[in-house]
Amino acid sequence: MQTDVVADSAPDSAPLAAALETLRARGLDLRRGSEPVAVAAPRPAVPTGHPALDAALGVGGWPRGSLALLDAPSGGGATSLALGTLAAAQAAGGLVAWLDLDGTLDPAVAACLGVSLEWLLVARPRDPGEAIELAAWLGRSGLIDALVLDLGAGAVPDRRALDRLGALLGRTGGTSALVLAPGARAVAGTVAGVRVAVHRSAWLAVGRDLVGQRVRAVVERNRWALAGGSAELDLWFGEGRRIDPLVTALAEPRPLDGERPALRVVSA
Amino acid sequence: MRLLVLAFPELRAPGADPRPWERMLDALDDLSPRVEAVDLGVALVDITGLEPMWGPERRIAARAVMLTRAVAPMVVRAGIGENRWLASLATRLARPDRPGAPAALRTLERAELPDLPLSLLPADAAMRQRLALFGLVRMEQLAALPRSAVAAQFGTTGERLQALARGHDPRPLVPRRRPERVAADAIFEPPLDSIGAVALTLRRLAAELCDRLRDRHLAPGRATLTLAFEDAPALRVAQPFPQPALEPDWIARLLLSRVEAAARASGRQKLSSVAQDGLRRHPQPADPESSRLNLHKSMTSNSRPRQNRPSDAPTVATSDRWQEEASEEHPEPRVASVRLAFDRLTDPATRQLPAFEARAGRWEELRWSIERIRHRFGEGRLWRATVDRPHAALAEHRSRLVDIGQ
Repeated sequence: MQTDVVADSAPDSAPLAAALETLRARGLDLRRGSEPVAVAAPRPAVPTGHPALDAALGVGGWPRGSLALLDAPSGGGATSLALGTLAAAQAAGGLVAWLDLDGTLDPAVAACLGVSLEWLLVARPRDPGEAIELAAWLGRSGLIDALVLDLGAGAVPDRRALDRLGALLGRTGGTSALVLAPGARAVAGTVAGVRVAVHRSAWLAVGRDLVGQRVRAVVERNRWALAGGSAELDLWFGEGRRIDPLVTALAEPRPLDGERPALRVVSA
Repeated sequence: MRLLVLAFPELRAPGADPRPWERMLDALDDLSPRVEAVDLGVALVDITGLEPMWGPERRIAARAVMLTRAVAPMVVRAGIGENRWLASLATRLARPDRPGAPAALRTLERAELPDLPLSLLPADAAMRQRLALFGLVRMEQLAALPRSAVAAQFGTTGERLQALARGHDPRPLVPRRRPERVAADAIFEPPLDSIGAVALTLRRLAAELCDRLRDRHLAPGRATLTLAFEDAPALRVAQPFPQPALEPDWIARLLLSRVEAAARASGRQKLSSVAQDGLRRHPQPADPESSRLNLHKSMTSNSRPRQNRPSDAPTVATSDRWQEEASEEHPEPRVASVRLAFDRLTDPATRQLPAFEARAGRWEELRWSIERIRHRFGEGRLWRATVDRPHAALAEHRSRLVDIGQ
């Protein structure tokens, strides 16, 4: 690919924006100097378990060696997304860990979503600082493929500690860390290499029964690929029970502003 | 073959202290290369061919009694026979020469068996009753019966008893494997100001011991580290491994985390933090020459303790704690020597699961990190989850967490 910018490639009278657009349309890139483009190796990634989100992230999943913030309100599906990531990482032969500060992890739900408990390490830190320190120890081992740092709703971690954790993961390069911190999105969002905002777009219901929610995941920040991608994901309420495939087939989206369906979990 | 059985009734009594037993077996190793620990308080010694060295059998038995009583002066009964059965029966029949004598010895030959009662056979009460119903009361009566008839009437148990009544016992002697221990040490002259250099030396010692064991297809299951200080009591930690391994890096890091935990308890926090930092910052040397070089570098750098402040340490969250620890003024003891010993040596090839499941191998490697985390953070941090009742109504009843160390 030709990379040089030819100064006289556009008429002098044409605005600069139009000239740049012309270059882009011709497949040219803006570069200084004339060295050939270095082909960057694709960033290794841990699959999210949702192909649409993998595509939106640009590198095929959560980048390894980085912090990723799942920015969702309570009940917004961040835990389900994180568990799906762990299940996908395990399906690829990896080891995973869940740092559960609040003690809210339900292993039955995790198993329902495909997480193999045999290869899941559950850590129960006592405070956010210890949680970050434990994450650093696990990340430094280089043996954990994906870990979830669930700081709970009320905890506010130290920004410097999170920043250093991100730097350590970057040096190790093998672990992808997902941060769930609804109460500390401002702190965690600034240090995370990837920030994905999750918004509920519709309820999923069968008749009058609420069986799940449809969320839109928007990649707001991505250090490793182009940000701005989004994906629509269907998350099912299971409460630890197996989801009946018939439910997923019959479910229909309902608008959020309409009549809210009754909360009843339909499962096998 | 000639076998000697030594029985120590005091060791077999309920509530007896078993600690001398291993040392008594070690003492018997000096007598014969083939010693089997049948049970607590019962030893089987192969004395075949020892006459030219130690004299007649009775003298060999007397020597065995002397060796064991030198460890623990207990009452001992000894029996000699050509197989396990005859030797153990001789031990049961041994009576002291005089009342109150601490030792009794009896030699039993196969020719003496026919006159002995059948009650000496290791049979249960029902079998004895059946033998008595057939009028069998002495060994020779059972031995004289056709084998097929005994098998038809009494089954395989009867066959086995008849073989014993005839003086046959095919069970071989299985010599015990003497607990082995390999050790290496290093003396620092002059003593080191910091434990940072000890970390490198420890890694080198571990590599040296691992190389020695690798050639013999053995792997250690436990390490004992002894740090001798110039002006403080020695620090000795015994650390069992998650699994037998020949990885010097894993072993050194685990031991240092254990030293850190022990030092934290004894107030040597600053010293131990420098140790962890020293091992992380220096690359692992591939050969002894580079090890010495790194050791020299480390020693020279550690001669200025104030420059060891790990502001550029690759740890993330420990630096804050280090600063907290560094603020405390603890005198740093000077390390005079380090000694590393491995024991519980086993064959690492017996662990086959990682050969079939790659993730299992990684998990086993992770257990070393888990062990270090336990040292750093204490108990109750790392768990594994199991789902016991997946259909329970309440979430807390469906699953439970199991401490990963159990």
